[in-house]
Amino acid sequence: MPDRVNGRTAREFLRDVRPFLSVDRPQLVFDLSQVVQLDAAGVEMLLRCMSEAHKRDGDLKLASPSPEASVVLELTRTERLFEIYETSTDAARSFSGFLPNAMRQQLLHKRPSAPAAA
Amino acid sequence: MDIRGLVLINSASVDSEHHDQFPSFLPGLTDVAGKSALERTAERLQKFGASPVTAVIEGEPYNGGIKSISSISQVVATPDRFWRAAEGAFSDLVQSGAELVILVRLGAYAEIDFESMVQFHLDRQCRVSQAKQNGQVLEVFCISASRRNDAASLFRSKLTHCRSDCPQFENFGYLNPLADSLDLRQFAIDILTLKTETSPAGEQIRPGVWAASRAQIEKGARVLAPAFIGSYARIRSGAVITRCSSIEHHAQVDCGTIVENASLLPYSYIGAALELAHSVAGFSYIWNLRRDCVVRICDAKLLHQSVASSRNRLLSSTAELVTYLPKQFWRGIFGPSPAPKPDLNDALRQTSPSLGAASGYRAPACDSQAANEFPSNFVVARTHGNQ
Repeated sequence: MPDRVNGRTAREFLRDVRPFLSVDRPQLVFDLSQVVQLDAAGVEMLLRCMSEAHKRDGDLKLASPSPEASVVLELTRTERLFEIYETSTDAARSFSGFLPNAMRQQLLHKRPSAPAAA
Repeated sequence: MDIRGLVLINSASVDSEHHDQFPSFLPGLTDVAGKSALERTAERLQKFGASPVTAVIEGEPYNGGIKSISSISQVVATPDRFWRAAEGAFSDLVQSGAELVILVRLGAYAEIDFESMVQFHLDRQCRVSQAKQNGQVLEVFCISASRRNDAASLFRSKLTHCRSDCPQFENFGYLNPLADSLDLRQFAIDILTLKTETSPAGEQIRPGVWAASRAQIEKGARVLAPAFIGSYARIRSGAVITRCSSIEHHAQVDCGTIVENASLLPYSYIGAALELAHSVAGFSYIWNLRRDCVVRICDAKLLHQSVASSRNRLLSSTAELVTYLPKQFWRGIFGPSPAPKPDLNDALRQTSPSLGAASGYRAPACDSQAANEFPSNFVVARTHGNQ
């Protein structure tokens, strides 16, 4: 992400990211380690990206937020809405760890059969 | 006996990292629970009988003008002339009849037992005596007025060296180094929890809640003890002030914002529906104490500093009022049309494609009859608040 995320850069960034958001089940990780300035427009852009991703059954995760980004996310009470990871690798790995359909199938197969009536 | 007080405040005592970033930040002059360390020290000196008190303050006028304190005569000096001004102030006190001068340099806020210290000084017939606490010397001195040369050498060495013997008086009172924002926050906590001799300014409106004159706490706002609201500070509806938080004079907390274990410095505004926790906020900066970092907030919707001068505040309020209607017209004509709100019933009926074969399952929440009991905009989640 850009080092300064304000109204203008947020719009530009959103425009660049939009193609990735419009695919089926988008899985995005934003690396916030370089962000030194984040304002309300930047936070709104992050929420918008997350909302777009959720609409298509995907998700947006944040990685290695800088202290500046962390403080602003905490101030705006949005840090609890995102999954935040220490590194981008951890964030990317977390996507492959969650496969709801596969898990559902496994659970269905493992379910014990009902006891037979006496 | 004629005893006078001399208080020095300069930036040398401030943590260099903090001072590089905020040249105007001097903890000794920053209000904490309604009064600065300077005012509190001067009050204690006057209570002891050291009167009048002179303060020599370094640098630019603080925050648009050093807060005038009627009981203290103030001398503002540029950094390069600071020690000369201090020496001059000492000479003036001596010429006006002082027999003993108590010299305090802020920095550290120490509650010295002045009576015992003066007695210690007189008993030992000292020229200069110094206070210490827990083995650490404090920049608090008793100087006999007749010993001008000793005083001059002390000032010229920036209080590091005394040319004559300097006995040390052991003090056991409250001590706070006031070197950075963490100390400033701790000072607020200690004042509000009554660990200091000095108490918060203003009136105790509820047990543990102090409010200074003309503090505005709007209906619906919650102030949980211990807390302090400064004069002309405004706590707007739905805001929550809790856990030893201190809102200083002319600060404003907007609707729905939570201030928890934090200090909001004078003339600061914090926007609506935010959460300021474990921090000191002011001068458009947030010192986050948990993360141990300082962040500049450039967005005025989140945090900004209003002007200190009342005339300028009036002018800016008038300008806002005058431009409000034209702005609304402009937005109404050229602004984007509001997006239609999604209907809750439709949203509840939708099932996630990831459910696969289970997508036909109707959860109890999808029951249209149950959903119709609530208006479609009844999607309110609150973790805090009283409504």
